[in-house]
Amino acid sequence: MFQNEDAKLSIIRKIVYAALPFLALLLLVIFYNYAVTKLPNVLPTGTGLYERAVSTFTKPIKKINLIGHVLTSLKRVLIALCFAWAFGIVFGVAIGWSKTLKATFGTIFEMIRPIPPIAWIPLIVMAFGIGETSKIILVFIGGVIPVIMNTQGGIRLVEKEYIDVGRLYKANTWQMLTEIVMPTAFPSIFAGIRTSVSTGWTVVLAAEMMGSDVGIGSLVTRGWNAGDMALVIVSIICIGIVGFILSFLLNKFERIVCPWNR
Amino acid sequence: MPDNENKIREGLLAYKKEKKNQKWKYIMEAAAALLVFLILWQLAVISGMVSSRTLPAPTTLVMTFIDKLTSTVPDGNTLGTNILASLQVALTGFVLATVIGVPLGLIMGWYKGADKFVGPIFELLRPVPPIAWIPLIVVFFGIGLQAKAVIIFLGVFVSNVINAYTGIKLTKRTYIDVAKTFGASDFETFMKVGIPYSMPMLFTGLKTSLGSAWSTLVAAEMLAAKAGLGNMLQIGRNLGRPDIVILGMVTIGVLGAIMGGILSGVEKKFLRWKLDD
Repeated sequence: MFQNEDAKLSIIRKIVYAALPFLALLLLVIFYNYAVTKLPNVLPTGTGLYERAVSTFTKPIKKINLIGHVLTSLKRVLIALCFAWAFGIVFGVAIGWSKTLKATFGTIFEMIRPIPPIAWIPLIVMAFGIGETSKIILVFIGGVIPVIMNTQGGIRLVEKEYIDVGRLYKANTWQMLTEIVMPTAFPSIFAGIRTSVSTGWTVVLAAEMMGSDVGIGSLVTRGWNAGDMALVIVSIICIGIVGFILSFLLNKFERIVCPWNR
Repeated sequence: MPDNENKIREGLLAYKKEKKNQKWKYIMEAAAALLVFLILWQLAVISGMVSSRTLPAPTTLVMTFIDKLTSTVPDGNTLGTNILASLQVALTGFVLATVIGVPLGLIMGWYKGADKFVGPIFELLRPVPPIAWIPLIVVFFGIGLQAKAVIIFLGVFVSNVINAYTGIKLTKRTYIDVAKTFGASDFETFMKVGIPYSMPMLFTGLKTSLGSAWSTLVAAEMLAAKAGLGNMLQIGRNLGRPDIVILGMVTIGVLGAIMGGILSGVEKKFLRWKLDD
């Protein structure tokens, strides 16, 4: 009898747990609808949002539809990140491996590092205008910092014994780096790459919000300036979806390249 | 064997000396590199290789810095006022988000019901960078202190909740079982095992979110503000004053580094037990 009661309780508990996520989302929707009734001129309704999203395809902004804007932003991120990864790993290995390079170039890097990438926007725009170049440089700055930090951090994790073994077998510097250091440092480097992707995505948004004609960030500002909150919210949702997809892909990729990381 | 002992002592002394020499060498190299960097920069500007319209010389920057301590030109505030305005906003948002976000994350990680209820909302909010919220927040709260504190709060809050949540989820099952075996209640286990165990992860998260709070603030001030370092940056850009822009960047960087340093200090104090083992 007692056991039966217990089983009953646990079933009820399971049902409640299964219902809670839906309850939370429902509350969110109710809250949003309440906000809409309070501020009907500012916030769009659910159908208004849908219609606005559709109209970005039927009446494209700057002749580019919503997906085109997203792809433009992604392209900027990808180009800049390729440079950031290549440069960041080489630079990180250099200052992680050589004390002299760390003292010289590493110190200069440490001076520049605490400046958030977003704070570079005015300077870069003054120097290079608001074209593609300045956006790519900005994303590069944002993406290269975590890669450098994680690469040199990863290299410092290499145990001294391994390096001594390498020396004992008369490995040259190249062999040491490729066969002993890099495999150990790789998970840390990959963590840096992962951070660089999310930073890059944030920085490109900021750069596009500060001045651009195309790109998903520019849609946010455009909607904001025109009082078109539906466009702002549609863009935010898009930004969130892309951010989610990026982190999902990186997770999958990490499982493939570093399977030992769980 | 006093002879042997002496040898060891000598060796140790030599080793210590060597270490000290290496440290000195490092410091000298670092100082030399910085000096060379500044001199090259100065030369590049003086020789006209880089236009002083886009990059002012280091000496100009020092002059601007001294001038800006008292002068309100061109953005209407002295450097000190701007710093205070930015710090006030960043810290208000950060502290509030920590005080509310960390306990919420811990509770979510420990109690399944809370996880199921609040979790989905965070999964929805997580991928949106705080900067993207700026227009919506400005529409609701204007461009005052409150609005910017809300933007910072949002960004830091989400990342704090997630870090506290992940941290406490990592608690080793064995430790929980030990606590239970010794008769601890669930709440006691939560307080005495779960929370301490999640601390290192939590601090790592706090450091990251402090950095992101600071950078989000700069963005918010650049887009909509009347005071603050980000505003100074934006006005410097609009007026074509690169010296003001770089002064702003350097100040932002230095303050960010100082805040990060303070947090690391607190971490060391709090987590001495962790560092020892």
